[in-house]
This record gives sequence, structure tokens and C-alpha cells, in this order.
Amino acid sequence: MATTAVAAPKVKVKEKQSKRFKLWIGFLLLLFFAGGYFIVERLVQGLPVTNLSSITPWGAWIAFYIFFVGLSAGSFLLSTLIYVFGMMEYERIGRMALFTAIVCMIVALTFVLMDLGRPERMLNAIIYWNVTSPLAWEVHFYLVYIALLTTELYIAMREDLVRLAGTPSLKGKIAKWLTFKNSPINESTKKRDHKWMKILGTIGIPLAILGVHGGTGTIFAVVQARPSWNTGLFPVIFVVSAMVSGTALLLAMYIIKKKATRQKIDHGMVVSLAKMMVAFLFIDLGLQFYEYLVGVYGLEHHHLEGLGTMMGSAYSWSFWGVQMFLGAAIPTFLVFYKKTSKNVNALLTAAILIVIGIIGVSFNIVVPAQIVPLFEGFPAGDYFPTFNEWMVSIGIAAMGLLIYTFGEQLLPIEEIQSPEKSEG
Amino acid sequence: MLSNMLGSKNMTEKDWNNLLDTALPDVEKEMEASPFDTKLSFNMADDARKVINGKLNIKDFHKKYHSKLMREFGEEVGQDFASGADDDSTATDGVKWGMVIDLRKCVGCDTCTVSCKAENRTPPGISYNVVLEQEIGDFPNVAKVNLPRPCMQCEKPSCVQVCPTRATFKLDNGIVTIDNDRCIGCRYCIVACPYGARSFDFGESYEDEMLGYNDVTSPEYGIERGERKPGKTPIGTVRKCNFCLHRLERGEEPACVETCVGDARFFGDLNDPNSTVSKLSKSPRAFRLKSDLGNGPNVIYLK
Ligand code: SF4
Ligand code: SF4
Repeated sequence: MATTAVAAPKVKVKEKQSKRFKLWIGFLLLLFFAGGYFIVERLVQGLPVTNLSSITPWGAWIAFYIFFVGLSAGSFLLSTLIYVFGMMEYERIGRMALFTAIVCMIVALTFVLMDLGRPERMLNAIIYWNVTSPLAWEVHFYLVYIALLTTELYIAMREDLVRLAGTPSLKGKIAKWLTFKNSPINESTKKRDHKWMKILGTIGIPLAILGVHGGTGTIFAVVQARPSWNTGLFPVIFVVSAMVSGTALLLAMYIIKKKATRQKIDHGMVVSLAKMMVAFLFIDLGLQFYEYLVGVYGLEHHHLEGLGTMMGSAYSWSFWGVQMFLGAAIPTFLVFYKKTSKNVNALLTAAILIVIGIIGVSFNIVVPAQIVPLFEGFPAGDYFPTFNEWMVSIGIAAMGLLIYTFGEQLLPIEEIQSPEKSEG
Repeated sequence: MLSNMLGSKNMTEKDWNNLLDTALPDVEKEMEASPFDTKLSFNMADDARKVINGKLNIKDFHKKYHSKLMREFGEEVGQDFASGADDDSTATDGVKWGMVIDLRKCVGCDTCTVSCKAENRTPPGISYNVVLEQEIGDFPNVAKVNLPRPCMQCEKPSCVQVCPTRATFKLDNGIVTIDNDRCIGCRYCIVACPYGARSFDFGESYEDEMLGYNDVTSPEYGIERGERKPGKTPIGTVRKCNFCLHRLERGEEPACVETCVGDARFFGDLNDPNSTVSKLSKSPRAFRLKSDLGNGPNVIYLK
């Protein structure tokens, strides 16, 4: 009697969940196929479907590319807090962080692919590696980085995979296939896995900071022709922005997922993650402040014009509106104002706004520097993404979410609660 | 026999040469008749050809023939020859193509731009050469200045530095070229070029205004690519001025230099201290665009 009474509502919850899940998948598939149509259009017709030109050769897709590389690097670095620095209070989001990092890299590389004039020749950057080109280095770093993330995620999931391997579901079959025949769990394997997580994480930190995201910043920072990119602080700002967006994304994902599946939210962790996110945001703003101050103080014509375009032209809504107001002012208020600082919904809003703000940052990095004419008398750029560019971007983002959602269904990304710890 | 050969329409190069030889005097006989050494003249001619082709150093040439020439022609000519060798000791080997544009002679007529478009058959939106125009000063003391801008064929080109695939590279003669069959179209080079000299080929065409435009692609680098069609190289890759490399190869100046109405453009070998461009580049009026960047443009302006 008692058991059925407990079981009945559970089944109902499950049913409701699977209905929600179907809706969610349906929604993503819709976006993905809508975007897919425009991706095909772009591949068939080439880049004239964009508003890019020889004056503004890089646009929305490059902005999204650096945004997603940032998300990836940020999520990964957050995972190292757990696996390398032993901050176990965040362990619940460890694997999620690693898997998010992988998916974001896939999304980022898809954006690059969309942006190439000759996507079918992409391997040339590996075959004919030009050692003086930061972009060529990045392509190599990205591949090593993805390999490292995958290995690390595998080790992090190994124990749960072994536990799952016996179950008859699809998840169990995949787990069986992934764990190979003989994989025991005991004290020594636990130690070994732990050690490898630490080693890989430790290698990953410089790789993610210097190689992956600092390197992505370097692509821009070495360009002498564009003074507003050409500063030593630029790659550092990239890395810190990555930490901001990575933390915000994971926070948002954690809350949304727990809400959607009606699970208990670890309130303490949410509040402390939100504080960390805002701390990164402050460092980011501080660095940007010096970046702009030094730029303005130099009174160098081109640099001034670049900053002017960003902060005081038709493009400035993106700087003041998105980057500063939505992405910095409101979230800071939400995290520190007494009435909202402990409220999960408010913190969720803050996290989402910060992620949007960092999209703005990416656009403000890529676009304004290419609007300023290279010479006096040279035409100024004029760029706003076309409908195709937006739809392709939505399609690629939906693809990322689909990969994430299915991955989570098929792999033990979420911590399986061991029986003795489970809450009743 | 001649009509026979023409009739068959199968004249080979050898046949033409034979025909020419019957009309020319026999060189060996002529030299024998002269008071000079036949063998020496032939050897010198052979080696001179090698020097021109870059297979023999001019200094070795001088060393080899100095004593023989002294014997043959005596002190006077021999001395001249020796001092010539000293003069060349500063010259480095090979040519380095460069251009000098006299801004005082430029009238801003855009002939260079148009002739470049015609020569290289560039599609809409792409101009290897542009003339930037600006009004300076306050009314009524105003002036119009023109700045023709080809690719600078930089000494240390940013575009070559950043290209991930080495699709853009510098030739020994100083010209920066693009391998359109390797370029992936990432446009990093466009972003990095401080002179805005590069363009992306979006695949547009003048076919609507100009019948048969698509029948021929650009002849740049002397490569015949046939019809211009979507998805075909160089569409989707980056293009730029290459000092009309295909014209240089047949001994002609770049189209913009040849057609310049004001005779404002000079073209030549910057490695040769006696060339017009070398001399002009040392003029006090000479300057280079954005010289603070360290690209070292090989297009020099006279202000
Ligand atoms: S002007 Fe620009 S495209 Fe030309 S060589 Fe210099 S950097 Fe390259
Ligand atoms: S667009 Fe082509 S030439 Fe330019 S950097 Fe990329 S691969 Fe090199």
C-alpha cells in the first residue's frame, strides 16, 4: 500500500517530464531545421547571403565563434576549480561543465566553418600550417583541447558508466560499450582516476588560458592594422570574459535543468556561484576600463575613432545597452541587492543577462574595429547581420543544444546519486 | 618548298628557325672576319645569358673575363670593365619590383583603376587599385588631394604573416601573391592588411551589363581558369593587386603604369641603384604610407 502511494505521484512526475522533454526536443528540432534551410542556402550561394564585405570581412559568425570558444574555456576552467583545486562544493556541475565545454567547442568550430569562403578546404590550415599565423595555431590548439576535454569527461564518468553497464536500457548499452569488458571500481582505481583528473586538468589550465582562449584573443591582438585590437591586454580580457560567461552559463543551465526536472536546487552553491560570476565580471570591467583609458590617453587618431565607433556612434547601443546595462549593471544589482541576492529566479535572470552581455562584448570586439576606415578617404564599413546570418546562427546554436540534450540522455553527465546519499 | 611547308600547315619551330637562319648572316663567319677572338665572343655571350637568367653571378663573370678582355682590347676598355664590377658590389642579386607614384602629377582621373579592372577582369566590388580622394583645408583655401593605392607589396607583409595556410606568400622578386587554389577564404589577411589592399571574391559578376563577362576569368598569375562559375576558384577566396605579374612575365609594365594619364607612375627594379624608381625613392619628396607600422611598402609616393 505504502509503496504504491509513493510510486503513483512519481510516475505522474515522470510523465509530465517526458512531455516537457518532448516539447523541448521538438522546439530545438524546429529551430535546427529552420536554421538548416539557411545553412544550405549559405553553402549553395556562398557568402553573398551575408552583409560582409571586403571592408568588414568578419561579422556575426566570427563574433559567435569567439563567444562560444569563451563559453567553452570558461566552463572548463570552472571544472578545474573542482578537479584540480578540490573545491568539491561545486562538484555537482563538474561533468556538466566538461560536457558543456566540448559542445561549445563543436558549436564554435561550426561557426568558423560557416564563415570560411571555402569550407571544403578547411583542412588546409592543418596541412599547410603557417607557424607565424595565430589562426593556424588556434586550429591545432582547439583539436588538442577537444581531445583533452573528452578524455577528462570520460574519466569523470567512468565509475557511473561501470555502474550503468548492467542496466538493460540504451544508456546501459552505451555504457557497456564505453567501459570495455573489465572495469572494476575499487580504492585503487578511484585513486588512479582522481590522479588523472588532476593531471589532465592541470595540463588543461595553461592550454585553455594561453592556447585556446588567450590564443583566440591573440588572433585579434596581433593585428597592427586595427589599433583598438592591437594591445597586450586584449587576450587577457578574452580569458576573463570567458570566465564570466562560462560561470554564468553553467549557473543558468544548472538552475533551469533542476527547475525543469523538478529537482532540488543546491541553494548555497547557486548563491556562491553567482558571487563568483560577479567577481569575474568586476575584474573584466576593470581590465576594460584600463584598456579604454590607455587607448584614449594615447590620442592616436585611429584608436580614438575605434573607441568612438564603439561608444558613440550608431553602433553604441550594443556597447551601452547590451554590454554595459544588460550585461553588467542589472546583474550586479540583482546579485547584491538584499531582496534579490538570495532569490534563485533573480540570480537566474542575472546569469542569463550576463551571457547575453558577453554576446554583446563579442560583437563589440569584432565589428566596430572594422567600421573605422583604414585611411582617410577610404570608405567606412557598414555592417549589420542579415536574416540569413541570424538564422544560421540560431540553427547552429540549436544544434549545440540538441547535442547537449541527447548527450545528457545517453551519458551519465549528471551525478548519479549514490544510495546512501540520496535524499528521501 | 616554302609553299609546300605552308600548305601542310605543319610548320614546327625548327622549320621557322631554319627559315630565319637562311636569311641571317652566319655568326661564326662574321666573327672570323672580325679582328676579335671568335671563341671568346661566343663564351662571353653564353655566360652573359646565364647572368641574365640568374644562373651566374655578375662578379664571377667579371672575374672570368677580366684578364682576357685586357688582352683583347687593351687598357682602356679593360679598366672600364673592372670599375663596373666595383660599382655593382653593393647590388644584391635578383630584382625587387617597386613602384613610385608622383602625387603632384596625379590628376585623379581614375584611369589606373579602370585599366586595372579591365586588365585583371575584376568582378563588381573588387578593385585592386583605387584612388582615394579627399578635400583638405577650410573654405576658401581648399585643395583636392588624390592618393592612388595599389597593393604595397610590403617588404614584411602582414597578410603573409597571418595567413594560416601559407596561401599568400612573397616571391623572390618582391611581389606578394595568393595561391587561390589553397586559400580557405578565412579573410584574416584582409583584416590584417593596413592598406586595405585585399578583397574577397563574393562571386558577383558583370554578366548582366556585359555580355560574355563570365566566359573568361581573371588572367592573374597567368593561370587560365576558364569560365567564371559559382563555386569555381577564385570565387570564395581573396584577391589583390600583384603588379600585373602576368604582364611582367612578358616584359610589359603593369597596366596602371602604362595607362597613367599624368605619367605619375614609375615602375622598375628597386635593387638596381641606377633604375628610375631607385633614384626617385631617394628623393626628398619620397615617403611611404604608414611607415610607422614596419610593413616596409615597396610602393613609394612623392609628395
Ligand atoms: S599592402 Fe596589404 S596585401 Fe599588400 S603586401 Fe602589404 S599587407 Fe599584404
Ligand atoms: S583568406 Fe586565404 S589568403 Fe587570406 S589569410 Fe585566409 S587562407 Fe590566407
